[in-house]
Amino acid sequence: MALNSLKQYISKAVGPLQTLTGGRKAIIATRFMVVYLALTSIWVYFDTQNLLAFLLFLASALLIYYLPMRSKAKVVISLVAALIIVPVLGIRNIFYLEVMFQICLFSSLALGLNIVVGFTGLLNLGYVAFYAVGAYTWAFFGSQQMYLLHSIPGSQPLTNAFLLPADAFYLFAFLGLGVAAIVGILLGLPVLRVRGDYLAIVTLGFGEVIRELANNLDHPLNLTNGPQGITPIQRPTLPTGLLDGLRVILNPIVGHSVTLDEFYNLFFYLITLLVILTVVVVVIRLNSSKIGRAWTAIREDEVAAVAMGIPLVKMKLAAFAVAASFAGIMGVIFAANRTFVSPESFNFLQSINVLTMVILGGMGSIPGVIVGAAAVTVLNVQVLQGLSLGLNDLRQSGGVIPIINFAWKDLSSQLDPAKYQRLLFGLILIIMMIYRPAGIIPEKRRKRMPPGSEKPKELDNNNNSAVEAHQEAHHDAS
Amino acid sequence: MTLLETKGVTKRFGGLVAVHAMDFTEEEGKIYSIIGPNGAGKTTFFNTLTGIYRPEEGEIHFDGHSLVGRRPDQISALAIARTFQNIRLFGTMTVVENILVGMNNRLRQNSFGTLLHSRAFKAEEDQAFQRTCELMDFVGLKNVGDELASSLPYGGQRRIEIARALASQPKLLLLDEPTAGMNPHETDDAIGLFRRVRDELGITILLIEHDMRVVMGISERITVMDYGEKIAEGTPAEIRSNARVIEAYLGRGAAAEQLAEGGVA
Amino acid sequence: MKRRNSTATFLREIFRPIGQILLFIILTGLVLSGFMLLLALLLRGSAVDQALVARNNVDLFTYTLSNLPQVLVDGVTLGFVYAAIALGYTMVYGVLEFINFAHSEIFAIGAFVGVEVLTALDGAGVLRSSSTVGAYAWLVFALLCGMAASGLTAVLMERVAYRPLRNAPRLVPLISAIGVSFFLQDAIRLTESLTTGQFYRVIPSFGNFDTRLQLASFPLAGTTINIGIQNKSILVIVAAMLMLVGLNYLVNATKLGKAIRAVAQDRKSASLMGINVNLIISATFLIGGALGGAAGVLYALKFTRIDPYMGFFPGIKAFTAAVLGGIGNITGALLGGMVLGMLETFAGSYLSVYTNGAAGAEYVDILAFGILILVLIFRPTGLLGEQVGQKA
Repeated sequence: MALNSLKQYISKAVGPLQTLTGGRKAIIATRFMVVYLALTSIWVYFDTQNLLAFLLFLASALLIYYLPMRSKAKVVISLVAALIIVPVLGIRNIFYLEVMFQICLFSSLALGLNIVVGFTGLLNLGYVAFYAVGAYTWAFFGSQQMYLLHSIPGSQPLTNAFLLPADAFYLFAFLGLGVAAIVGILLGLPVLRVRGDYLAIVTLGFGEVIRELANNLDHPLNLTNGPQGITPIQRPTLPTGLLDGLRVILNPIVGHSVTLDEFYNLFFYLITLLVILTVVVVVIRLNSSKIGRAWTAIREDEVAAVAMGIPLVKMKLAAFAVAASFAGIMGVIFAANRTFVSPESFNFLQSINVLTMVILGGMGSIPGVIVGAAAVTVLNVQVLQGLSLGLNDLRQSGGVIPIINFAWKDLSSQLDPAKYQRLLFGLILIIMMIYRPAGIIPEKRRKRMPPGSEKPKELDNNNNSAVEAHQEAHHDAS
Repeated sequence: MTLLETKGVTKRFGGLVAVHAMDFTEEEGKIYSIIGPNGAGKTTFFNTLTGIYRPEEGEIHFDGHSLVGRRPDQISALAIARTFQNIRLFGTMTVVENILVGMNNRLRQNSFGTLLHSRAFKAEEDQAFQRTCELMDFVGLKNVGDELASSLPYGGQRRIEIARALASQPKLLLLDEPTAGMNPHETDDAIGLFRRVRDELGITILLIEHDMRVVMGISERITVMDYGEKIAEGTPAEIRSNARVIEAYLGRGAAAEQLAEGGVA
Repeated sequence: MKRRNSTATFLREIFRPIGQILLFIILTGLVLSGFMLLLALLLRGSAVDQALVARNNVDLFTYTLSNLPQVLVDGVTLGFVYAAIALGYTMVYGVLEFINFAHSEIFAIGAFVGVEVLTALDGAGVLRSSSTVGAYAWLVFALLCGMAASGLTAVLMERVAYRPLRNAPRLVPLISAIGVSFFLQDAIRLTESLTTGQFYRVIPSFGNFDTRLQLASFPLAGTTINIGIQNKSILVIVAAMLMLVGLNYLVNATKLGKAIRAVAQDRKSASLMGINVNLIISATFLIGGALGGAAGVLYALKFTRIDPYMGFFPGIKAFTAAVLGGIGNITGALLGGMVLGMLETFAGSYLSVYTNGAAGAEYVDILAFGILILVLIFRPTGLLGEQVGQKA
């Protein structure tokens, strides 16, 4: 109910703006956007540790999406923000590049899981398995593991050479895509006729089996090097000429000489950005085709879907395969970025991590899922860390917790909010399911009717109509 | 020409015989009805025709193909479409999208065209959308294209189901209690719609119905089922005066009176 | 007339499950033993056999046979542990057709409360000075505390996280349950680390629980093979049996049980008959939770060390057991638990030898998951058939 009155308030404020013509709206919106982006960027630039500044900067992505600007303006502003502002800010504080990298990475994963959970309605609790498959594919071939096949885990290889050149990474990005898709189909085949909640448990089982295999396939052949993981894994080469050229431009802006590692951070950010953009385009196009309609039909009513001629098995397998392929390619990138993989990165917690993003953001909604991914990533990486640091500060002060008069410094040093992700995920899942199962940004069905044939309406699955709310507001005003 | 023929179709659920030795034929371009008391096995019979159930015995032939053992999506590809007794729409999809799903079998998009938004893909989508608008006009859905299917009133939802079934360009249309819950005005519209489907689109119709006005009004032949078996078959006039039918199905009460009155043409 | 009937019912409901328990143990034991011995015979003279002879100076068949009794004993114990945990899953599923994913944390909470109670008693010096009988009494006390805590948590959980979702599509409460599970894991961790900073606990040692009771002993290939069972394992078996028999009696021979079965079969009709459905569902969670908590304390007794994440694997395995036997079915939980416990113990003991080191005891978990996947895909109704709405 509070949400509705907030909406009415916004409608009232925005009301007079609505009456402007499209052209004027676009100009005002564009100017507002530019100013907002400039202000937040400058704030982040000068106050590099400020979380609020960074969050507001991130929020500009949402604003770009929703404000009524012309498409060309949106594209230009987005490109400037993504390709110029973020790299600069990122090199100022390398942590931000890491955050952006993770946001793009998890957005891809979330979009993939969204196809299976959101579009097709199949609850997959073992999604991390595909991610692991991609990661271990490059980890095996992009490292020296091939030379260690018959050695006990933990031993060093006799040669310094790697199996493949580092730039095979690009080939393996596509291979990882394919291998994961195949695994997705293999997993999907037996699992498809299993009913909803049992399907969830089966996929959980598969996820755990993959992790256990990664943990245990270090004998008789040392494929995965067991719990110790595989390292070092190669990253693609960055041409030194290019780097030197970039340094000329960047060094004065960021105030120090850009290191190789920082360039790699930038590189991986750009790669994941490219992938996520491709993924978004692919998902949007699939969704607005007969494949996407088939998926949603299966989610809504399998019996009716089959009666309409939709081949259930093929469509579900397609969903699994496409979702798996997104995870696969991101796995390869992850392995190259970290130069290290171990089975612990691919546990059940990670599957739930991605599921939480989808549910928080909005099942079946593409912008929703991206927002969910960004939100959960920021929560994990920054907010929890921030709480950790804040708690440490409190510990070092002489203060006491009010009411119970317990000294902060007596609080055990093991108590570290950064490690309490399960608490966070658990709360998010419970609260979302009870109060807003459709997510922050619910799925929005596509309008197709040409304007003029009916009242233009935007309907989301909360059945909220922006126009209705606006009309209500006007009614109260008059 | 005989479009649909079943011989000795029997469907059992454990000990219960839901449909027993059904022999049934339908000629192309006709409107036939199946009537019978609740639980007579009419919907079960439909479900065996569309592949949801596999009959234990019997043969089903449609347009030169044998249907027994085929999956529902395969049968749909052979140009049989149906509606459901309890409306089964895709609730969170719009009306237009529901109808587009009906067209799924007829669309020839492949993955490359979809991902690259080829000209062929865009042309086919536009064409599909055109057809959808035409179908909406045909069934009488006005200005609701972008509404969520679940938000329409009952009568509207029934029309969406029919439009969705028509979208797959079927040769045979199975309608399961299509006028249930409609008022007399809507029922008249529905009767007119079914006639137009047969006359303008050349589609053969098989109805399950309880509303005698509809049954008597447009059926060219009526089959009566009771306890899973066919107990009578014939023209409306013949069925109206068939003692066994009246006894088994209509018994006493308003329905019997309706029948005795001769229904409404 | 009435009196004789109720005594007859009482006796029947007590002895029938005991009979079933014995039957399942014997059946599973025989089948698995037979299988292993057959396998050993088939592999006579093979590379595996020769390697074993070279290493341990004993051939495959003798090795298999001599280890069999201890493996069976351990298998039965583990089987009872799984069966005890599985009861909570199967009860809730039987009534609500809902997988209470957080049952694993109910189990963990019981373990932690029990251990904390014992630790407190130990700190007060009570345990050290108690007699053997006293030790058992204190254990029972801790058990009851664990049961109470778990039962109450389960009721609270249902009220807060599941009841609002009772009419939602099936996946929604399941996701909520996953959320509860994760939340509780860290809640336990938080509570435990607030004071000492560590979040695992070790059960204080007291009484004669660790004493090993010698069952038999015989010489073989130069050494003596001892077959024994620890007192605490006996305790686990006895307690689990009591739980099974007690639950079976409750569900089949009491008025509450009848109400539970009614709600399980048809919620609407049950409420029309005057049954307070919400109350019955809460009672189901209470009972299932209490049983899970008891299983937790027993687990802590047997395995001594517990941590907030202890519930995940036993929980999944117990769920596997429940589905394997036939979910909704108490006897099914028992059978499934026995089968799974035996399979795990057999695999743990023999896998390494039979694969010549290629796959060892660490593959036991994969085996359990494999069984889970196979059961859910190929026979989701389980060995005894799904009896949602009916028990035993």
